[in-house]
Amino acid sequence: MTQNGTVVRLSGVRKTFGTHTAVDDFDLEIEPGTIYGLLGPNGSGKTTTIRMMMGILLPDGGAVELFGGAPDFARRSRVGYLPEERGVYEKMKVLDQLVFFGEIRGVGRALARTRAEKWLERLGLSEWSSKKVQALSKGMQQKVQFISTVLHDPELLILDEPFSGLDPINQDVLEEIVLEESARGKTILFSTHLMEQAERLCERVCLISRARKVLDDDLKELKRRERSGAVAVEFDGEAPPVATWPGVSEVEEAGDALHLTLRDEVRPEEILAEVVADGFSLRRFELLEPRLHEIFVRHAGEPAEDDAPLQTGGAS
Amino acid sequence: MKQIWSVVRREYVERVKTRAFILSTLGMPLLMIGIMAIVGFVAVLSEQSERQIVLVDQSGQLGERVRQALEQAGYEVELAAAGVDMANLDQQVLDEELEAYIVLDDTTASEAVFAYRGKEPPGSVRSQLMRAAVVEEIVDLRLGEMEDGDSVRRLFEGGALEYEPVGLDEEEAEEAEAERITGMITGIAGGLILYIMMLAYGAQTLQSVLEEKQSRVVELVISSLRPWQLMLGKIVGVGAVGLTQVAIWIACVALLAGLALPSLIAAASDFEELAQFRQYLPGPGAVLLLVVFFLLGYFLYSSLFAAVGAMCRNLQEAGQTQAPLIILIIVPFMLQMMTFQGNTMPWMNWVALFPFFSPIMMYPRAVMGDVPAWMVAASIVLMALTVWGAAWVAGRIYKVGILSQGNRPSPRELLRWIREA
Repeated sequence: MTQNGTVVRLSGVRKTFGTHTAVDDFDLEIEPGTIYGLLGPNGSGKTTTIRMMMGILLPDGGAVELFGGAPDFARRSRVGYLPEERGVYEKMKVLDQLVFFGEIRGVGRALARTRAEKWLERLGLSEWSSKKVQALSKGMQQKVQFISTVLHDPELLILDEPFSGLDPINQDVLEEIVLEESARGKTILFSTHLMEQAERLCERVCLISRARKVLDDDLKELKRRERSGAVAVEFDGEAPPVATWPGVSEVEEAGDALHLTLRDEVRPEEILAEVVADGFSLRRFELLEPRLHEIFVRHAGEPAEDDAPLQTGGAS
Repeated sequence: MKQIWSVVRREYVERVKTRAFILSTLGMPLLMIGIMAIVGFVAVLSEQSERQIVLVDQSGQLGERVRQALEQAGYEVELAAAGVDMANLDQQVLDEELEAYIVLDDTTASEAVFAYRGKEPPGSVRSQLMRAAVVEEIVDLRLGEMEDGDSVRRLFEGGALEYEPVGLDEEEAEEAEAERITGMITGIAGGLILYIMMLAYGAQTLQSVLEEKQSRVVELVISSLRPWQLMLGKIVGVGAVGLTQVAIWIACVALLAGLALPSLIAAASDFEELAQFRQYLPGPGAVLLLVVFFLLGYFLYSSLFAAVGAMCRNLQEAGQTQAPLIILIIVPFMLQMMTFQGNTMPWMNWVALFPFFSPIMMYPRAVMGDVPAWMVAASIVLMALTVWGAAWVAGRIYKVGILSQGNRPSPRELLRWIREA
């Protein structure tokens, strides 16, 4: 295993379809062993980026490297790829299909069979193994596909929207497997438009909006840096007149709690001291971490709003 | 290599297991046997219903002869006395005691016209048999009255063209004749097999490619296999299915021929010669040549069909796009039918050299000995070159096509695909 060098490297990659630019000037480096999230709304260029990594599309500009070289056939075989458009041989039996995919990825027939059976059991599909794929529900088909992605024990997993279409229970199962594979030293890149999922799983995230990279950072680092200095407070009984305090620039009611936005120079501890000093009974005091969604919106704007034509001139 | 083998196996196993394959493989021979059986059965059944017949002879000379002839044809005949009461017989028919009766009168002897009186018209088998029996007896009777009756009788038998091969003794001539018949049978059967294989299994290759493209499975497969490997595996797999089908059919024929036919033929003593049919089975050379033509023809067309499948988005599009290929297969088949019917024109041999026509047109010519050996060799070389070229072009179209989800390419775009792939 060459887990030393960069696993995926994109530099200045650009892809256009006719007049539409799908990916523009895109840089990305994925170090071995990370769980990397490629985030962005639908149509932002995630799938195109992934397809270029897999050599399915050729970039119009820039360079794509997989395991330190061109994404050729030998290097691609070290990747487990789950495409967004999930193709299956509908008329094949589940187990036969998995064995076939194992085989074309260089796993011996017998070994592919044992592994497939193990995975089917793990994902609760054992009793379906001799059913035709078309008899399975979409969610089950997706699990079968996931198995075919990991059957050859690849070093790098590239999963395009792996969780979409799964019910919460199966999402959890899949998340668990992703974390497990990561613990076994695999590098994992997945794309999603579900920020919560990314927040739970990723070590690093890359935000894409409208064909361009907006952010690319360690998730914890990003959150620390993006911390807005907001706190949530909740009181038993009467609340103090927080809005009048000099350190608070803005107050927002959020259910029972109040979200306070602090002025730049004010530290949260000062507010806490003030609350305690005034003798109000505090039930909760919490530093608000920015949600990934907020960070995204802060940097890229709400995609829907952003794309809407400007109607009110003069506001800014 | 191992991976190509996996593709071949998948393609083969998945197809052979389908109901369509089993039905078409078993259905074809069963259908043919069934049709023959039903036709024969119905005819026999309708004729067996009532075989008793009353014969009224008013001519006074034909009665006994016709009775014997009809009895030989399997009827139970009761020859009525000359002055029988026909009203009485009619009544029996109406009462359904008698199905029908035959009346021979004076015009029967001169014009072979006779009456069949019944409630229902006679079935086709019955009217054939009866008419033949009556006419034969009359002709026989009249010829017997003539001085040179025997000679006229031979004329009626149609004469004969006796081929006398120059420069061959009798034994050699017989061999040559057997060879000619063998060539004819092999040529017709071989041409038909090639036609079916190229048309049916070429189209299956197209379908298989299209299915993978439409379902997007191909994106997964192609991340582990090179496009040409997938295409080759597919073509070989589908071809193997076709060969299996033909092999089963041939085995059926051989089984029938080996077990059932000789006893059948032996029973029908008229066809003693046919009992030696085994001498007409093709030799290893003709079979080998068939394999060569099959491999070249099938690869040529199925690679192009695969390219068409890769170009299109759905079956409707593919249906239109494959039309030129279908025509390229059907035209030589039509020309070959003309040849079998005896319209042998020398320039056709040159048409058979056209690589896209060669499998269907050159193979029968080769086994029937209609073309010199160099022409057969030339057509094989030409076909091999064409296969090579077609595979190259098709491989490139395939490579781009299977991953493209856009419109069907225009001819110009297609050229670009081929250049840039």
